[in-house]
Amino acid sequence: MSRQNESTVLFDALGPKGRQRSAIASVISAVVILGILAYVASVLAGEGFFESSRWVNPLDALVVQNTWVPAILDTLLAFALGSVLALVLGVLFGFGRISRFGLTRWASAGYVQFFRALPLILLIWISFTIDGHFGFTTHTLGWSTEARRLTFLVLGLGVYNGAVLAEILRAGVAALPPGQAMAGYAVGLRHGQVQRLVVLPQVLRNMLPAVLAQLVILLKDTSLGYVITYPELLHSANIIGRDYGNSFLQALFIAAFIYFVMAYALSKLVVLVERRMRKKTAAPKAAAQLESTVAGGQAGVGVI
Amino acid sequence: MFDNFDLMVAALGAGMWTTVWVTLTSYTIALAIGMVLVVMHVSPAVPARWAANAYTQLFRNIPLLAVLFIMYFGLPKVGIVADNWVWALLGLGMYTGAFVGETLRSGINSIPLGQAEAARSIGLTFGQSLKGVILPQAVRAVIPPLGSLLIALVKNSALVLAIGVTELTAQSRRLIEDNESRFDLWGVIIGVTVSYLLIALVLSYLVRLVEKRTAFVR
Repeated sequence: MSRQNESTVLFDALGPKGRQRSAIASVISAVVILGILAYVASVLAGEGFFESSRWVNPLDALVVQNTWVPAILDTLLAFALGSVLALVLGVLFGFGRISRFGLTRWASAGYVQFFRALPLILLIWISFTIDGHFGFTTHTLGWSTEARRLTFLVLGLGVYNGAVLAEILRAGVAALPPGQAMAGYAVGLRHGQVQRLVVLPQVLRNMLPAVLAQLVILLKDTSLGYVITYPELLHSANIIGRDYGNSFLQALFIAAFIYFVMAYALSKLVVLVERRMRKKTAAPKAAAQLESTVAGGQAGVGVI
Repeated sequence: MFDNFDLMVAALGAGMWTTVWVTLTSYTIALAIGMVLVVMHVSPAVPARWAANAYTQLFRNIPLLAVLFIMYFGLPKVGIVADNWVWALLGLGMYTGAFVGETLRSGINSIPLGQAEAARSIGLTFGQSLKGVILPQAVRAVIPPLGSLLIALVKNSALVLAIGVTELTAQSRRLIEDNESRFDLWGVIIGVTVSYLLIALVLSYLVRLVEKRTAFVR
């Protein structure tokens, strides 16, 4: 975004005529955009979308206390556990892919390629179904139904995003100048020590923006708990919407708004971290920036 | 293990076809939306930039499943009704379009400023330097990330099962929950896994082909 202001070299500085033209374009685009918004609003208002009772009913104090708040907490719980699992698996397999041992490299590559190719919704639902096929193993452990659902949601989120994070970390290792590891060896560190003390801290720092961006995606993906009826935000909004038949769309909008606030806050954190982490490692900063700004990542790592 | 193999292959094949079709169509929509967004992003009209930014932020921070739910289950409440596959294509397309727009934008931003300076200093006009210097490089820079967006879209297309489009995941679900239980669980799991791996493999091969075809020496 800051680039936009700098890249004026592409344009000649606008003269009086050009400035007039750009002002006219601004006015026209403003009118068009406002017109579209007004049209949408009038259609919605015609259907009674903005009637206060439709918004107030699903936000009743009792509903907030009994459904919205637990739903947000359940979403955040799945997010927290899923991120921890994903980070652990990501570091494990990311460094497994550059291991000295062929077998480890091969197994890690297999893990990453396999789980990155399957839809998360399939992973969550299949693992849940396999468990059901074997007679609900978690039930025999004495876990509640909700704990069982949480387990498989977290498992799916962790395994899938672990594969994505592994790729991000591998790209981070590749972006680190080889002199760093060489210097480590030169001062007499063993291979494990070099990886642990020199490479890993820098890679984590460097790739933190990309990792956090992936965690924003993980937060959004907790909504997939819907397929195994884990009581997360979207599922609960659906239930509230069914209870208050008139407020169905409103309940979904409220849920979408809560998701927006949570994800937006997290992505602002990404920007903040990005700013603070610059110039703290030996890697060219372009590597991490590219990973986080290009939605797919240059190495084809990140996904939506 | 593969009981009723021919039935399974037929069902998964139909699902695979739906997945590929939905993916490619919604990707086309996403590319169109992304291009409009990037034009709005770089335009001198401030309101257009705001609108593009609002659109991008909105779709980047709301789960795709919520978007699909609002469209298919929510909008009929205000009298906007369409078939589920229409919403599937539109939802996937609009959602992915936000990411395509960001990718295109960072593709243009990834070209070093010196390139534009050099183009201007040898006397090319704005249009010439865009057409001859900036865009050829930017397009090549965005092909890999656009390719990974396409492959991500294959996986995201599985979410349309929630609004009743029977793509690959929905088909495998149907097979496993078959009320005559004609299909073995593991057989179907292997079948659906192989199908997805096949799609991902073919698509990433095609993306690499395009990359190679358009590559040039820098």
